[in-house]
Amino acid sequence: MLRRALAQSAPPLVTFAAAVVLAELVIRALDVSPLILPRPSAVFAAATSEAGPLLSALGATARAVLAGLLLSSTLGVAAAVALASSPWLKRAFYPYAIFFQIVPIVAIAPLLVIWFGYGPRAVVAAAAVVSVFPVIANTLAGLLSVDPALADLFRLHGASRFATLWKLRLPWALPYLLTGLRIAAGLAVIGAIVGEFVGGGGLGVVVLGAMRQQRTDLVFAAIGYASLLGLALFGAVGLASRLALRHWHASETNR
Amino acid sequence: MRRTALAVLATLGLLACGGPDPEPGLSLALNWKPEPEFGGLFEAERIGAFAARGLSVERTGGPGAPVVQMVTARQVSFGIASADEVVLARDRGSDIVAIFATYQTCPQGLMTHAARGLASLDALFAAGGTLAVEPGLPYVKFLEQRYGFGALQVVPYSYSIGPFLNDPLLTQQVFVTAEPIAARRAQADPQVFLVADSGYNPYTAVVITHGETLRSDTARVARFVAALREGWQGYLADPGPANALMGPLNPEMDAEAFRLAAAAQQPLIEAAGGAVGSMSAERWAELARQLKELGLVKQAQPADTYFTNPTSE
Repeated sequence: MLRRALAQSAPPLVTFAAAVVLAELVIRALDVSPLILPRPSAVFAAATSEAGPLLSALGATARAVLAGLLLSSTLGVAAAVALASSPWLKRAFYPYAIFFQIVPIVAIAPLLVIWFGYGPRAVVAAAAVVSVFPVIANTLAGLLSVDPALADLFRLHGASRFATLWKLRLPWALPYLLTGLRIAAGLAVIGAIVGEFVGGGGLGVVVLGAMRQQRTDLVFAAIGYASLLGLALFGAVGLASRLALRHWHASETNR
Repeated sequence: MRRTALAVLATLGLLACGGPDPEPGLSLALNWKPEPEFGGLFEAERIGAFAARGLSVERTGGPGAPVVQMVTARQVSFGIASADEVVLARDRGSDIVAIFATYQTCPQGLMTHAARGLASLDALFAAGGTLAVEPGLPYVKFLEQRYGFGALQVVPYSYSIGPFLNDPLLTQQVFVTAEPIAARRAQADPQVFLVADSGYNPYTAVVITHGETLRSDTARVARFVAALREGWQGYLADPGPANALMGPLNPEMDAEAFRLAAAAQQPLIEAAGGAVGSMSAERWAELARQLKELGLVKQAQPADTYFTNPTSE
């Protein structure tokens, strides 16, 4: 168990350490101004000396990201089920779902503030808006790719539409949904931070303030904390898919 | 044969002049779209003040441009920043120096609704409501220390007066030459307090250059400043022609907005004693002391490291 954990975590940690050391050496050798690129050592110093404010900002951002993901996964799955239920609905509405993929969140974030007010609600909305499309697209692809033989089997036995959805289509779409969630998790972090630029709170405000005060070390430290959040979410979705799929789906049983 | 001789003569001539090739052009990074804040620059271009001094200046940058970083990396010769950015950047190890200060009085202000009947900054901060400011601005930190934000809900400002028009209790940061004019034209009745009245008054729209440029290219920097000053004198006398030049480059501002902004900024630019754009060591020392007290810089450097008033001839 321990050996496996070590074998899993050692390669990325070695890559990380090597990249950090290399960056430190190159920046020192070229004598780059800290205003343009801070040394990794300065970033680590900021990450530890400002750990208190950074952690409480991280907490606020994490709450908004989780709420945004909950919203986007619920709405995304519901939308995908609706779109999959009729080719006409799909034709009529799916092109507009793409809006969520291309929406420049920076441009609409100020509007979210006007609609939802300053504070966490606008931030959650921003996280949900940018993370809903991969959920819709992936879940829809799963719902529509059900093995026709299995669909025939359900029909032969006279299964109701609901039973077919609940016992065949949704389980079939689950691996797709989980893949969508992995993409959505990273996007939700970006969406929340951009939302915080205008709505206030969390790492977004730390980043803005640090940029304004030309604390590039603190900017990168905040990005580091945001990456930890992204990694944790990615890991959580991975764990969820292992638990949900390990007994029956090739993506987890073949590992 | 004659050709070779000419080439040799020409080369010798160049060497005698001290320059290996014709002087490379200068560049100036703006931090916003063309507007009256840069009126003197456009006037200087219009009347050929740069060309008359053998200079060619290319404009670059714009909203969101990392001007301080661009000058620090010497990607551009000059840039527009504010005095507090200079003090912060030098504290972070950058060698940038201010050479010309457009605004003698900082044009930053706080705007709220006149209907609230607040008479002073003290009353404003005691009255509560929402305060929309960019996170991390040094003057916001100064105001917080001086007045306390206890009664206020502080939210980020994102360059839109929409929330202000929506909320009768909202106070927001402004450039006195921009947002209040827009708000008035949107039928609001704004009341504006200058941040400078709080005691924090950094030079603003300051032209910066790199210390190395200043040392190696002193004469050209001085000629640049002289041309810019000539442009500003012209713009202060009549902003019309330069405004007409800037209008098409900034279609969001109409001619009336240009005219009103130019009139509003006039008293902030005209220097009490010295020439337009010149700076004093006392003001820089005061600013560095204030930023040190706010904990934004580790130490205040000698005032004359932050700026110089280049003089030609």
